[in-house]
Amino acid sequence: MSTTTTNHPPHRAFSPGRILAIASNTFLELVRQKVFYFLLIFAMVLIGSSAFMVNFTFQEKFQVLKDVSLGAMSIFTWLLAVLCTAMLLPKDIEDRTLYTILAKPVPRLEYLIGKLLGVLGLLAASTLVMAALFAIVLYSRQQLAIVEALSGADPNASKEQVAEMVREIKATTFTWSLIPGIVIIYLKAALFAALTLLISTFASSWIFTIVTSVAIYIIGHIQPIARDYWLTESGGTALTKVFLAIVSLLFPDLQLFNLVDDIVAGNAIATLLFLKTAALGVIYVLVYLFVAYFIFAKKEL
Amino acid sequence: MSAPAIAIHNLTKVYPIPFRRERVVAVRDLSLTVEPGQVYGLLGPNGSGKSTTMKIVLGLVPPTTGHTEIFGRDSTRVESREEVGFLPENPYFYKYLTGQETLRFYGKLCGLRGNVLKDRTKDLLKLVGLENAADRRLGGYSKGMLQRIGLAQALIQEPRLLVLDEPTAGVDPAGSREIRDLILDFKSRGITVLLCSHLLGQVQEICDRIGILHRGQLVREGRLEELISIENQTQIIVENASPELLAKLEGDIANSGARLVETSKPQTTLERYFLEVTK
Repeated sequence: MSTTTTNHPPHRAFSPGRILAIASNTFLELVRQKVFYFLLIFAMVLIGSSAFMVNFTFQEKFQVLKDVSLGAMSIFTWLLAVLCTAMLLPKDIEDRTLYTILAKPVPRLEYLIGKLLGVLGLLAASTLVMAALFAIVLYSRQQLAIVEALSGADPNASKEQVAEMVREIKATTFTWSLIPGIVIIYLKAALFAALTLLISTFASSWIFTIVTSVAIYIIGHIQPIARDYWLTESGGTALTKVFLAIVSLLFPDLQLFNLVDDIVAGNAIATLLFLKTAALGVIYVLVYLFVAYFIFAKKEL
Repeated sequence: MSAPAIAIHNLTKVYPIPFRRERVVAVRDLSLTVEPGQVYGLLGPNGSGKSTTMKIVLGLVPPTTGHTEIFGRDSTRVESREEVGFLPENPYFYKYLTGQETLRFYGKLCGLRGNVLKDRTKDLLKLVGLENAADRRLGGYSKGMLQRIGLAQALIQEPRLLVLDEPTAGVDPAGSREIRDLILDFKSRGITVLLCSHLLGQVQEICDRIGILHRGQLVREGRLEELISIENQTQIIVENASPELLAKLEGDIANSGARLVETSKPQTTLERYFLEVTK
């Protein structure tokens, strides 16, 4: 073992390798804490919601199933994002593990990016699993609906009429708009992961972080209504506009991410609207990460 | 001449107390140098500023005034940490990782990859005697094993400087002895060690030089032997001496005008006795 000379590679100001090491370690940490168990609850919600729809037409059944599933997916990914992220930083500080990491040649920005990417990886894996479960349940309901339709169909119906019926059932179950809908659900959770990470850089406890994050979630859903009200009441003075701009930066307008209703109703989402919403989600994540770094860089450990 | 392992220049650290006008001065105008290859003991009561000084040296906390350097590189710069390994007091590493995974994780943070990282991990596990526990999760490690894996992670990138904060706190005598022997081994390999400890006996055994901090100020500093030796006294240890010889020696001492301070039988240390009994 050499001691007087060091044979490690020269230091790099920014290293994707170090970020990957922290991200994969964070992912592993969350996996080994068995957070994936919550997916069982999601599966139960999914199966439960599809089992109690006896007297509905197949269109109604699919609509309810999609509504419940996408709604549950949205809430579960959000909850996972907030709960997982809120613990990361305080735990590392409390256990002094952070000292051992930052005492290595690791810039604080890389540490934060790594932690966030670890959570985003976990959210991506969870969203994929939920989407797969959703697809399986939807497909099985589709097959059941086809069997029911065929058995209840008029025996004199022509081949074309039967084919048309099957085609209609298939068109009602899987629509392309489900994919952008799920992507937006993921981005909303990613936004909250970044926001929760930002709060945890200055919060005194993880309970404060979670409570604040939940409060922002609620404000984020009602702020567009308040904004519309203020603008109509005050006539939109310059001061009101500046105030509202600050509010909308601090509290994301979550209604903008609510494309699920349209998808469930069977309406296709315009590509431009999807791209704009996705870009907004990414921008929010980057802005929150930057602010988190700004606070964390000056934090005395 | 090579740069000092640690150079602290006129360091002051003041912590403001939130919502009050008062401020706490943790370190006051501290200057000291640790030369390469030394084992330096930084001593002081609780709250004397030892941990703050260490954190500033490691770049975890910014100084209020003054500056610190590691091998000539400003310690506020991230790259200065390439040369330093740190073991904090009572560290809790990730419990869900095995010993091997822990070392691989810290190795990757230092830019090590592939076979170099693999070999290094293996070597260090052997060095700290954890080869058989390499695949066990840290959640099942004893306190002594955690300190040893902590030392191994501190050494992963072959740093020239080790900063150890209470490395034997809460460890049983046998574990404590192993860690002490490891530090002596690092010293023989030329690694500089900055050691903070309350266990003065241990500091005395391994440190070349010490600094004593009190209320944020360096009150004494120097070579250990010089600081603690009693200049006007001499110790002679004699084996198989007859009572007649001892009586003659005592008489000679009295006749010469010197004063016999103490005659006693040398004792083994309690630590050595304990280790002998529990072997």
